Amino acid sequence: MALLDRSEWYDIARATQWTFQYVPEEEIFPEGHSGSEGISNEVWSTYDEPYKVTYREYVDVQRQKDSGVYSVKAALDRLDMYAKADPGWISILKLHYGAVSTVEYAAALQESRYVRWSKAPGMRNMATFGMLDEIRHAQAQLFFAHEYVSKDRQFDWSHESMKTQNWGVLAARHFFDDMLMSRDATSTAIMANFAFETGFTNLQFIGLASDASNAGDFTFAKLIQSIQSDEARHAQLGTPLLQILIENGQKDRAQRLIDIALWRSWKIFTILTGIPMDYYVPLEHRESSFKEFMEEWIIDQFARSLNELGLDKPWYWDILIRDLSEHHHGQQLGTWSWRPTLWWSPAAGVSPEERDWLEEKYPGWNKTFGKCWDVLTENLKNGHVEKTIPGTLPVICNMSNLPIVGTPFTHLKDHPWEYGGRLYHFGSEVDRWIFQQDPERYSQHKSLIDRFLSGDIEPADLGGVLAYMGIGVLSEGGGDAHDYSWVDKYRSIEAKVS
Amino acid sequence: MTEAVIDLSPLKTWSHLAKQRRKPSEYEIVSTNLHWHTGSSQPFDVDPEGFMNTWYREYRDNSPVTHPDWDSFRDPDEIVYRSYNMMQDGSETYVDGLLDQFSEEGHDSGLSASWLTTLQELYTPGRYLLHGAQMASGYLVHMAPASTISNCAAFQSADCLRWVSRVAYRTRELAIAHPELGYGETERQMWEQLRAWQGYRELTERALACRDWAESFIAVNVVLKPTIDECYWRAFEVSARRAGDSLCALLTEAALRDSERSRRWTVALTRMMLNEPANVPIIKGWVQKWTPLSDAAIQAYSKSLPDNPGAAEAAVERVRAFHQEIGI
Repeated sequence: MALLDRSEWYDIARATQWTFQYVPEEEIFPEGHSGSEGISNEVWSTYDEPYKVTYREYVDVQRQKDSGVYSVKAALDRLDMYAKADPGWISILKLHYGAVSTVEYAAALQESRYVRWSKAPGMRNMATFGMLDEIRHAQAQLFFAHEYVSKDRQFDWSHESMKTQNWGVLAARHFFDDMLMSRDATSTAIMANFAFETGFTNLQFIGLASDASNAGDFTFAKLIQSIQSDEARHAQLGTPLLQILIENGQKDRAQRLIDIALWRSWKIFTILTGIPMDYYVPLEHRESSFKEFMEEWIIDQFARSLNELGLDKPWYWDILIRDLSEHHHGQQLGTWSWRPTLWWSPAAGVSPEERDWLEEKYPGWNKTFGKCWDVLTENLKNGHVEKTIPGTLPVICNMSNLPIVGTPFTHLKDHPWEYGGRLYHFGSEVDRWIFQQDPERYSQHKSLIDRFLSGDIEPADLGGVLAYMGIGVLSEGGGDAHDYSWVDKYRSIEAKVS
Repeated sequence: MTEAVIDLSPLKTWSHLAKQRRKPSEYEIVSTNLHWHTGSSQPFDVDPEGFMNTWYREYRDNSPVTHPDWDSFRDPDEIVYRSYNMMQDGSETYVDGLLDQFSEEGHDSGLSASWLTTLQELYTPGRYLLHGAQMASGYLVHMAPASTISNCAAFQSADCLRWVSRVAYRTRELAIAHPELGYGETERQMWEQLRAWQGYRELTERALACRDWAESFIAVNVVLKPTIDECYWRAFEVSARRAGDSLCALLTEAALRDSERSRRWTVALTRMMLNEPANVPIIKGWVQKWTPLSDAAIQAYSKSLPDNPGAAEAAVERVRAFHQEIGI
């Protein structure tokens, strides 16, 4: 072949910066979109993406990747995994597709903002591929989820969720709108590509893929592994950007953006990944605990990336480490209890054997979270299902929009702050700190509880709240994934003892 | 009073597609109604009066061009991600074949000195023009009010990168064959200083600065891209053939296949806009506003094209014909 090697012409394709003659530069790159202030165009043109790919290579490789994923799906559809799967696994699929599919589409819009607004020509080209990647992820996950709509109406949330006012969606939208959709291109790439994608997508797309394979859902495993291979490439968009900021006196800005994004990502992933990994995945198929994955990918690897760039660990590192053994357990108690508000049926994940596993992975679990489950289990054993469903609404954090939780009996508190004559509630000092960085940005947002109390939800009763959240409108709400069959194990133990 | 009972039994497709009473295509399943930040006075849930919410309210939601249901737009080609890659991988394999064969034949060493100058002045600097279209298409992706429009714009932006890349590739090949001429080093200077490029440069810069999403679509898809097609590609191709540069001509034909696809959805979306009577004077006004920049770009560029008398008139005529096809 007499074709040129990529390295011979690649730099020419990203030498696309010119001096504007007919329109002022600030009209072509408004600061609110580009976030490039204080750094010269010459410096932006030095942006050097670590992972290089050309259009020609891209369409070839991606065609092959899709061929692999869709052919596995076609081959395995006949095996009807769905009919044989554990109900906990089906719940993972409903939660995942509902939470992820159309958010991936929003990420395509996020990448397209770099195509237009980044002052770094190399980044504009890489983001063009990133934009296509995210369209891929949205389309593939919608296509795969669509297979299940005829089996269960709750899969309709894969397409509709983000348009609803479900409490989980309010939390997700507040997070993604803050991080992906409403900041300038430079800040967004640091928060979304560096802080979020290099760390957290590994959890969902690699960690969960192991569990999926173990559980026999090879279609899902293949799909999300393939997605992660794209993420691993375009996540690298943020790193050269960070280097430019640090070398040009904007280290503090970079650090603050990372500190905000990492914490906010952590909170949302406790629901999306933490709960499924430690409670929904059938015990025999679990690869590692959520905490172990977090320790590998965030506490070790992400911290190492920060160090290599000359950045610091976020100031709240100790709080994060404590939270690894706490937050998602609290959210599991909450989501399972308020199961009628979900578009999936949560698995309790607290059969005797599962509790042994939880105690092994999280020493002390039985004495804290376990005691709450003792009460719930006791009520179920006695046939009082109604006593396991709260009749009131929880206190919700005005940053994460998740219920304020902690470790029962040891650590559970609100971190309030008054601003503009209104009292705000926060699940941690970090959530409050994020709010304080830019109160105007967050102060007008209403949590589900704020909406309820201010009369936005009518009728102001349980039925009204459920309908407001799309429950009974888009689909039925959730129940216990295993229809409480796990309680029988406790009854058997009791029968043997007596 | 009886309460309406909502039937929540499983449907055969997404609830929003279930009404159409036929099996949805893969395109419909994966492309329709995906934007979740439309339809509210506050597109994003944070910073209600901040820069981004204000921008979207002003330049998307309050566009003078309106439609009751932007989500009803459909790409006539119904391209999805995986079909895009299959199609473009095939097209790129063809282009690789061309480049390989012409390289084997020593094509570049046989080009005349005067044609090499023309390539250096009027062809290789085109990557700036194409990159401008790539960026402007990226704007439409995040500003369009329907995902089916955003997707078309995304594939169009990627197509532009394709040709930025191929022009860069040719630039390097020509630099290797003729190292003394400065290929790969002079393009920015040509783009910024050569009179032939200034019309294109002005049109590109102004299209990039255009904020209203619908006007941006008209400026980019109805004016800028056809102006690139009819002059930078097609008029140049005529000169290339006459100069014996068959490779350039064949590459151009491949580029124009992408443009034809772009035009199909451009026609569909513009007609959708024109179907609303209130939009007609606005669209026509924008086309009138932007077309003189197109004419000027074509005139300035064509003057320098060798062996191609009447190139400017023909290109202007073809852009006009496209506008007539749309109904403007």
